[in-house]
Amino acid sequence: MARPSVASNVAAGGPDRDTRVLDVRDLHVSYRTPAGPLKAVNGVSFFLRPGERFGLVGESGSGKTTTALSLLRLLQEPAVIEGGEVLLDGVDLLQLSEEQMRLTRSADIALIPQGAMNSLNPMMKIGEQLRDTIRAHRKVWTSHQSLDDRIRDVLHSVNLNVGVMNGYAHELSGGMKQRVCIAMAILLNPKVIIADEPTSALDVVVQRQVMETLRRVQQQLGASVVLVGHDMGLMAQFVNRIGVMYGGKLVEVGPVRSIFKDPLHPYTQLLIKSLPNLQTKEEFRGIPGLTPSLLAPPPGCMFHPRCPFAMPRCSVAIPRLQEVQPERWVACHLMDESPA
Amino acid sequence: MSGLLEAQNVSRTFGGGLLSKGGTVAVDDVSLVVDDNNPSITAIAGESGSGKTTLARLLLGVIQPTGGAIRYRGQPLTKLDGAARKQFRRDVQAIFQDPYEAYNPVYKVDQTLTIPVSKFGLASSRDEARQIIEESLRMAGLRPEDTLGRYPHQLSGGQRQRIMVARALLLRPRVILADEPVSMVDASLRATILESLVRLKRDLGISLIYITHDLTTAYQVSQNIYVLYRGSVAEVGSVERVIKEPKHPYTRLLVSSVPLPDPDIQWGGTITDEEAAPPPPVLPQTEGCKYADRCPFVMPECRQAAPPLYLTDEDRAVACYLYKNNPQVTGQQMAESLAQSATRTPT
Repeated sequence: MARPSVASNVAAGGPDRDTRVLDVRDLHVSYRTPAGPLKAVNGVSFFLRPGERFGLVGESGSGKTTTALSLLRLLQEPAVIEGGEVLLDGVDLLQLSEEQMRLTRSADIALIPQGAMNSLNPMMKIGEQLRDTIRAHRKVWTSHQSLDDRIRDVLHSVNLNVGVMNGYAHELSGGMKQRVCIAMAILLNPKVIIADEPTSALDVVVQRQVMETLRRVQQQLGASVVLVGHDMGLMAQFVNRIGVMYGGKLVEVGPVRSIFKDPLHPYTQLLIKSLPNLQTKEEFRGIPGLTPSLLAPPPGCMFHPRCPFAMPRCSVAIPRLQEVQPERWVACHLMDESPA
Repeated sequence: MSGLLEAQNVSRTFGGGLLSKGGTVAVDDVSLVVDDNNPSITAIAGESGSGKTTLARLLLGVIQPTGGAIRYRGQPLTKLDGAARKQFRRDVQAIFQDPYEAYNPVYKVDQTLTIPVSKFGLASSRDEARQIIEESLRMAGLRPEDTLGRYPHQLSGGQRQRIMVARALLLRPRVILADEPVSMVDASLRATILESLVRLKRDLGISLIYITHDLTTAYQVSQNIYVLYRGSVAEVGSVERVIKEPKHPYTRLLVSSVPLPDPDIQWGGTITDEEAAPPPPVLPQTEGCKYADRCPFVMPECRQAAPPLYLTDEDRAVACYLYKNNPQVTGQQMAESLAQSATRTPT
């Protein structure tokens, strides 16, 4: 479906950006608290290629959801985006006016929120909620298809009966509600879908079905997906590349296979060792220590108080995220010695 | 064998009554045994609506069964006299899903630990109380100086949950019933908490009933597993047998749907809508197998009567007519034989 978008009208990025549909550069987000600013996202940079599925993984408090919501500018007070760029097809979303951003949301970059099934309006028929999404974007909706034809197509693509249009949210199961939310996210053919823990409240069988649905529609659309979550198993099943967050920073970024087979950052190594599997009964171990306080972060590397390989330098200098091998970025002083 | 805690053909129906038809059968004829002489870790696995939490509440005596009985050292829970009831309250401890809700937010966490000490008269002096509290904190993998004197919000979720483990340990229980103890805890701490539960069995001989929806952790920590579907046991046996070669069509679907942390082992095939269909919110009474509507192998007999347990291996039974050529076994027989053979150590 051809549809001129806000972003592509403004257009044109640098030469190395052709392969980057989304380019996040040095993003900083703070929460203003009575005890001072809390740096929830502290210099995060990553990019998405067209059609790519990217996983943003981390424990609670690592900044993954804050990062994801910043991309859509959906954060509310006391959160403040303090710096950085979020380039969608070369256009910095952080510089758009509120109205431009409103039109870009859903049309170019869409969200499947955490607990998405509770985000449906209980008083409004499903079909009406889907129509609303299109109506709110009338300015950028140029398809000749009628509203309801489009909605039927989309419901069909997430394997829902068009009958759900006339129903209410409470009549649907959790998995069906979640698929309505996927339908809503893809209604306007976005280039990027941000899925924030989209299956966290679902049983495994339904989870698998929802994720398979998301993968199928994403491939049909050619959209890129950022999957935010803490479940490394889900990441292994779904994404192409993965970014591991710790204490508001990305500590490792790479292709999902290399990260699981050969994690380079000590945190990633311990995290993967702590995952129970179904193949072998080995001793799986937790990571000793606690996640850092973001109000009083440790000096140097955020992970050094828990790191088994910590060196004197680690408590002084903050390691930079650098490409240590092709396609593999790591923020760790251990990498300084090894040839890049 | 000496049965410490037993569920004998326990059922629990909610609702029903004079005016409404039927009710919701949350737990349907489940038997389970914890042997006092044979410490074990038993997993009860199932999805939401499988009845696993209702079973936990039955075992704790919080709610009463509508059929069958829960027995503590041979006595039905409802018949325990004062002294035996107090002993039951000591021997059987519980750990719940949300470690935050178990605390009073305006009191220091110390209160959670001092109340059982005074209620059960565990110490004769302040110093002794402090000593046994510190000892149980250490057993749960906590440093007393990092935890005592703090408020619940000052501790991490993992610390709060381990204090609940420490509280349970204070009473020197024989069995701990843990209902989704790690589902709200981050991955890096999940393993630490499960490790400390496994250590309790290994070092102190405390049995554990581990209730979970997560097959991977169930596989890692337990010896035996009960897979529940809509209140009934679908498959029961040694965890190696059930997880490695699942036989019930439902267990097979569950095991194959677990997102494994290995990009090279992908979910195979796609799930049909029938298979993924969750149970309807109000469960219709069915004469036959409860899984029949979702089952790809459904046969006419599945609609007639609920399948009994068939003993497919020495240490596993499956409630499915696909295995009807095997000898039948009762839930009670199976529970007893598993409880006695639970000496295989996990890790």
